[in-house]
Amino acid sequence: MKKSLNALSVFKKIEGLPIIIVFIMLIIAFTITAPTVFTNYRIYMSFLQTVPPMLVLGLGLTLVITAGEIDLSFSAVIAFSGFIFSYIFRTLNTPWLAFVSAIAGGGLVGFINGILIAKIGVPSIMATLASQFFWNGLTIKLCGGLSWNIKVIKTYFIHPLFVGRLFGIIPVQAIWALGLTIFIWFILNRHKFGESIMFIGDNPEVARVMGVNVEKTKIQLFTINGLIAGFAAVLLTLEMINFWTTQGSGFLLPVMAAVFIGGTSIAGGQGSIVGTFFGTYIIGSLEAGVVATGIGGYWTRLVTGLVMGASVVLNILIDESNPKNIIKVLKRSVFNKGLKNNRTNT
Amino acid sequence: MKQKFTVLILITIISILITGTLLFSCKGKTTSKNTTEEIVIYMQMGGTEGDPSTLARTNGAKAAAKSLGVKLIEQYSGWQPEKMINQFKEALSANPDGIVIMGHPGEGAFEALVDEAISKGIIVTSGNNPLPNIEKKYQEKGFGYAGAELYAGGYLTGESMVKAGLKSGDKALVYGLFHQEGRNQSPQGMFDALKNAGCKVEKLDISPEVDSEASLAIPILTAYIERNPDLKAIGTQHGNITSNLMKVLEAAGKKPGEIITGGIDTSPATIEGVEKGYVSTTFDQVLYLQGYYPVLQIVLTKKYKIPGLHINTGVGTVTTKNIKELKPLIEEGIR
Repeated sequence: MKKSLNALSVFKKIEGLPIIIVFIMLIIAFTITAPTVFTNYRIYMSFLQTVPPMLVLGLGLTLVITAGEIDLSFSAVIAFSGFIFSYIFRTLNTPWLAFVSAIAGGGLVGFINGILIAKIGVPSIMATLASQFFWNGLTIKLCGGLSWNIKVIKTYFIHPLFVGRLFGIIPVQAIWALGLTIFIWFILNRHKFGESIMFIGDNPEVARVMGVNVEKTKIQLFTINGLIAGFAAVLLTLEMINFWTTQGSGFLLPVMAAVFIGGTSIAGGQGSIVGTFFGTYIIGSLEAGVVATGIGGYWTRLVTGLVMGASVVLNILIDESNPKNIIKVLKRSVFNKGLKNNRTNT
Repeated sequence: MKQKFTVLILITIISILITGTLLFSCKGKTTSKNTTEEIVIYMQMGGTEGDPSTLARTNGAKAAAKSLGVKLIEQYSGWQPEKMINQFKEALSANPDGIVIMGHPGEGAFEALVDEAISKGIIVTSGNNPLPNIEKKYQEKGFGYAGAELYAGGYLTGESMVKAGLKSGDKALVYGLFHQEGRNQSPQGMFDALKNAGCKVEKLDISPEVDSEASLAIPILTAYIERNPDLKAIGTQHGNITSNLMKVLEAAGKKPGEIITGGIDTSPATIEGVEKGYVSTTFDQVLYLQGYYPVLQIVLTKKYKIPGLHINTGVGTVTTKNIKELKPLIEEGIR
């Protein structure tokens, strides 16, 4: 029993373990209930096609929440940066200038958010909520409410580079999103900037005493989140080869749900990039999975709630600092005590 | 000092953005006669600014306001019934000359409010989604309707899908907002048309997430197609999902025409789908007229006491046969 508990302790140190378990269980459940769908590659390719923009948004948001802040403006950046990209491409026929401008536009939004929050002291929830309305409104005003088709961009290299199909089937945006996930993981877990974010999230005053420039780090953080959201906007616009004024508006809740079920603490100080990765693919595949089982679309929200609840509960049970941590409970349990007594007697 | 400089830069950036926004706003401003006789109308546009189901309506309303010298106040509700009710109350408190509403919240929710508005001398009319009993009650006071008959429009689209090649016994899916009263009329019409043609039809409800972000429909419909390899048709009466039908069929590995599709409204993405044969037919409810006529109705009633007119704007469907001539107008946000 003791060896099992030690093995369990090692096992639980795997980052994002609860959500990985939930993900595997879901895939198994869907494969059993909808074998014709989930044993076919197409459904997975459709996830790899549609989930990456949400994942990219989730990565940036994970950093922000780890710092104890929140950013509600990323959905507006999807529209704003998508507009910049489409407008510049349509006007100047320069996809790379459009690309850089779109990302810079996202960065500008993030920078302004950072100044409002770090320098002026506006709570991040209020600042970014106002930002969301402002940038959304500005986008609609600038484009006159029109949506644009940019199918000509398919003839440019930028299209297959970011949203092409590897070997004819694998959506390239999924690879870009995976690459960004690995990069952000290293930033958060192995770089000084990530360390600073976690200190700030834990306690900004202590972080300040330890030499972290809290204001500067927050500004950088929101700017980076804006840049990342700008990139997500480009991926979405390239994949859809269309710009809509409402694009991104439906991402707010799903992306937040993905970050939280992935194990990032709402209190800050702790973030899981691996958790966000699997959390996003869970959220992105849930409804399709429910539909594939044939039990009807009305069940989606109910199932989503169950999955979220299960992930959060698992996270808490496995959390080391929690006195109800399952390892500690097992160690204190009568079974372990019983084994100890047996060894003493023999 | 450094902090003050940073704040100054921030204020400068925000000022430039606000000034730029105001300049753009002024660019398209209606130059109406600014006299005491100017008619003020509050109008519910339905969705969000610029979305495919709203844009042409907004443009039609603005065109009417401009030519008739009306001050138009646009209201956007994201198709949320409770927000429409709140917006009516806001309009009521402003005491305008007229209010244009949509029937999504239902007659029960609107009746008392319409009673109050009309008792105050405000002209109320409707568009897009009818309120037949209220219309009957207040037709003399100018309550009219300009819109497609939702159920009839869905039925017409279903019939058009049958004409595109469906046979009795074929399997079909109708993907619609079945959980929303009002917006469930058109997909129900489509469902009934396909069923009456002998097809085996299933309903699938659109979730609130997909309602806001239509790209999320792609894996859902792909999963459905994979689960039902004998599927012959997909129909929807959601404008944004219609725009994504081509992407859905591509993701599912289907060639144009392999699955007959029917949708609603027109957007640049839908045009491309029709041109390439992925979208077989799309219902045209001429949103421009749904914007123009209600504004005209209020002016006619205000000035000449003309009763409410009931105008059916659902004139037909767009297919590969007529898409060419409509394309430039669709891209301008007129059709």
